[in-house]
Amino acid sequence: MKDESALVTQAQHGSEEAFTQLVEAYQMHVYNLCYRMLGEAQSAEDAAQETFLRAFQHLHRYDHGRPFATWLLSIAAHYCIDRLRRRRFSFTSIDEDDDGRTMELPDTAAPAPEAEAMRREERERLQGYLQQLNSVDRAAIVLRYWHDYSEVEIARTLNLTVSAVKSRLHRARRELGTCWQEAGDRNAHARRPHESPAF
Amino acid sequence: MNHRPFEDWLLEDEHLSLQQQRELQIHLRSCTTCAAVASSNLALHSKHMAVPDPGFTERFRPRLAEWKREQLRRQAIGTVILVLAGLGLLYTLAGPLMIQAVRSPATWFSQATSYVVGLLTMASIFEQVGGILFRSLTGLIPASAWGAMVAASGLFALVWVFAMRRLSRAPQGV
Repeated sequence: MKDESALVTQAQHGSEEAFTQLVEAYQMHVYNLCYRMLGEAQSAEDAAQETFLRAFQHLHRYDHGRPFATWLLSIAAHYCIDRLRRRRFSFTSIDEDDDGRTMELPDTAAPAPEAEAMRREERERLQGYLQQLNSVDRAAIVLRYWHDYSEVEIARTLNLTVSAVKSRLHRARRELGTCWQEAGDRNAHARRPHESPAF
Repeated sequence: MNHRPFEDWLLEDEHLSLQQQRELQIHLRSCTTCAAVASSNLALHSKHMAVPDPGFTERFRPRLAEWKREQLRRQAIGTVILVLAGLGLLYTLAGPLMIQAVRSPATWFSQATSYVVGLLTMASIFEQVGGILFRSLTGLIPASAWGAMVAASGLFALVWVFAMRRLSRAPQGV
């Protein structure tokens, strides 16, 4: 990709080609945020497309002193938060994999398929628990862990104070931990009836 | 059981020293609550980026083109409405005058001249009255009050400029 700032300037002057290159470069970042926020591949695709459209529409407002990725993710996060507020209830498709495509069975020929299956299961669990968080907390967690944003960057992206970000991350980690523990307890209860009384 | 330091370490997701890591590991063996937080933290750290289906950019192009077409359509409709409204307003306000100007140019010219002369006379009266008021007020109001008024106006202008600059700063995010 050419120099990002030059591409943004060209796009601001109406170059669709330059903007398309920016879409190509940032599609994964934006899509990932939307997917983690909305929990569905189709909604994530739609939200990511809408994010780029809004970015193109409001490109004249972009401040070159700020990273373009942060600006884009800010648009995506706010769009997803609004959408979740409208939706109120989130639905998590159970037949979709973590990467947004139809779930595939673990490849038994691959090395350590059990470990891979376990990792996949953990990712699915985490994605499910993410949907239970408050939408702003969820955005903060996704930006922190999937996009490696610092607390200051998250604050800028979500229009929050740094202390608010810290407290939201703290609360979100606690809630995720609680979900994790509850699921563990449920699994333990579910296993017990099948276990041999001898154990 | 004393969760305090361990729970804080986990919930703040702090970078721990080797000694702290050892202490935490011992604690996790006996505390299911902290172990659950540690597991979820671990899962968060092993991030896995979701990727869109191939051809995302190709799917974006027609959407952008459609949006541009829609914008053009809206602009065209807006322009037509604006022009029609302008013509309507012009017809309502200047229509009778124009009709009169066409039917009897001499009458129209004399009316227009008297209107302009009236306006100029009015302006001259206002200027004279203003001059008289200003001269009498400068005599009545002490110099210190004038100074205070100038300072207050300066302060007000400063606040206004500052507020305008803050309000007109380009917003980020959409």
